[in-house]
Amino acid sequence: MANKAFGIITSAGGNFHVEGLHDYRPIGAFSFLGRYRVIDFPISNMSNSGIDQIQVYVSSRPRSIAEHIGTGRHYNINSKRGKIQLLFTQINNPMSVYNNNIAGFIENMEIIERMHLPYVVIAPSYMIYKQDYSRLLDEHVESGADVTLLYHKVSDARDAYIGCSVLNINKQKGVLSITPNMGTAKEKNIFMDTYVMSKEIFMDLARQARAQSSAFTLSDIVSAKCEELDVRGVSHRGTFASITSLNDYYNANLGLLDLDKADDLFRSNWPIYTRTTNACPTQYYDTADVKKSMIANGCLIEGKVENSIIGRDVHIRKGAVVRDSIVLAYSDIGEGVKIYKTVVDKWAKITSGNEIKGTLDHPGYVKRNDKI
Amino acid sequence: MSSNMLAMILAGGRGSRLHELTNRVAKPAVAYGGKYKIIDFPLSNCANSGIDVVGVLTQYESVLLNSYVAAGTRWGLDTKDSGVFVLTPREKADAGLDVYRGTADAISQNIDFIDNYDPEYLLVLSGDHIYKMNYAKMLEFHKEHNADATIAVIGVPMKEASRFGIMNTDGNGKITEFEEKPAKPKSNLASMGIYIFNWKLMRKMLLKDMKDPNSSHDFGKDFIPVMLNEGRTLCAWEFKGYWKDVGTIDSLWEANMDLLDDKNTLDLNDPTWRIYTEDVAVLPQYVGPEAKIKRAYITQGVEVEGSVTNSVLFTNSQVGKGAKVIDSVLMPGAVVEEGATVTRALVADGVRIGKGAVVGKKNSENILLVADHVKGKED
Repeated sequence: MANKAFGIITSAGGNFHVEGLHDYRPIGAFSFLGRYRVIDFPISNMSNSGIDQIQVYVSSRPRSIAEHIGTGRHYNINSKRGKIQLLFTQINNPMSVYNNNIAGFIENMEIIERMHLPYVVIAPSYMIYKQDYSRLLDEHVESGADVTLLYHKVSDARDAYIGCSVLNINKQKGVLSITPNMGTAKEKNIFMDTYVMSKEIFMDLARQARAQSSAFTLSDIVSAKCEELDVRGVSHRGTFASITSLNDYYNANLGLLDLDKADDLFRSNWPIYTRTTNACPTQYYDTADVKKSMIANGCLIEGKVENSIIGRDVHIRKGAVVRDSIVLAYSDIGEGVKIYKTVVDKWAKITSGNEIKGTLDHPGYVKRNDKI
Repeated sequence: MSSNMLAMILAGGRGSRLHELTNRVAKPAVAYGGKYKIIDFPLSNCANSGIDVVGVLTQYESVLLNSYVAAGTRWGLDTKDSGVFVLTPREKADAGLDVYRGTADAISQNIDFIDNYDPEYLLVLSGDHIYKMNYAKMLEFHKEHNADATIAVIGVPMKEASRFGIMNTDGNGKITEFEEKPAKPKSNLASMGIYIFNWKLMRKMLLKDMKDPNSSHDFGKDFIPVMLNEGRTLCAWEFKGYWKDVGTIDSLWEANMDLLDDKNTLDLNDPTWRIYTEDVAVLPQYVGPEAKIKRAYITQGVEVEGSVTNSVLFTNSQVGKGAKVIDSVLMPGAVVEEGATVTRALVADGVRIGKGAVVGKKNSENILLVADHVKGKED
């Protein structure tokens, strides 16, 4: 990589709230496909792109993210030359308008200023996609643009990606403005909250945003500067999901049970790293009946699992049926329990006889540690 | 060193009884239990017992074993003073390049390595056993009994005792006699090949043993009998729990099958005694829409589209549509293509069983080792 960048990983703004799951952890720490956490994707993308200076901004409930990232060694980042920093903001209320990414950047401006690399790649901790940032950076430098934004053209923006931003682009891929997705049309260019720019422009934009309004976010200021600056969009291809509502979380997980899709995200030359928990393999008993599912390690499976994702160390007991569902780590699904289209959070214990169902257009949710 | 005890693992020779499995990798690096390697067991036991420095003694240079254990981080053996070291025979200033002439000689030739750490106790382990043991408890026993050496023993069925090295003890755990494969065993306490020695005494005795032309430099045959003859205090520490020597294809297969048994006492998910291993970046296991899985032990990265019964599937192995895997072990990356059938077999790392091929037989006397690709019916 001729051009050098450091990485910034942002957390979701107060405009996003994922029912249930979000009460316990930031989106980046959500379990994904039973083995990963959402933040593994942006960090692995950066690591695989040769970015080894990474700042992770955590705006609330830092424990799970801090624990998961640790020294960052499992992300294949050189422990001497590289580093992952966790940076916090003082405003801890995740719902506050003041708790936005600009607030984090301003509070940590000194640290940003000290980075000796000329460019920055900014990516969200709440979206799943694969992207080679070194190619994106090269494209950015070659184009001569001031700011490059990554977007994904979707055809289901009416139901999904609500609250995400949309890039309004002209034919030359020049960005005219960034506006919220209100679900008014099917086809939209969903902004992937991913930016490439020089460190100087980035610092300048953060300071200008703060001068304009305490509630201004990075995308607000970029949108406001679209005329003044050369802001361009680059279209992303491949699997893309925004984990910004329970529905989107649910669909992103289950969508990958189609192995061809998952294949695009998980190529051996583009490993997705995560922290190991040293769980042993999964045990299938005589009564097990598993179809079209992804199962993490450490599970005991005696019951029926169909079209579902089962996290680590989950026990599915005899006669239990889990269908179209996501069961997070350490949960215990009791004998004869039926779970349909539901997200069961970690450490939940559902005892015999219960039946839990989501609705046709909305998955159910069982709280963390809940006993039913 | 926190425990003042250094461990040396006798990883031995090529493990020829494991045939082709050890052509490319040394025995301790052979895979076991879905995601582990055999050597993960002694290494995790060391890490969990508070032992920081482990030497792995191997006769042959093994790049794979070397690079595998060099990443001591995997077992948490990565604090400032800890590490895992592969020790092959070396050329020294006062001696030419030599092979390890026996198990005791392997330690003798590394006295300089051990001296670097100046341990009080030396723990000698075997590299091809599957078990979970707290060596700190054994050391406690060793100290309590003021022993010169302590040998871990396990009760075996009396009728099988003549296959083992048997320890006869007095009522207080003191060893009075050691009999290698006795025709008429007096006890059923078999040596597990796990020893704790007081390093100062051992060092002196090793130097003597090295020069003894009549010694075969073996712990069981020479070193332990000499200690007994000299009237040293040798104690037997009885271990209770799962223990398996996986020296042959059949026993390696059996040890894997044990994991499918409800009553198996080797709990690999015990949060207080984890077995650590290499971390691989792979997907969770994927079970396809037509898959059938009954009684199986399956790890991450595996893809099952066909049917799996009473089998253990290792990292990145695959079972294609309509394929059947019965009473078998698929080692890492083994692929059973569409419509193929594998019965009572151990399919080696990366081996491909072609479409529709049939390998292994029900009720076969021995387990079939499949070490080369098998052509499919249409190939």
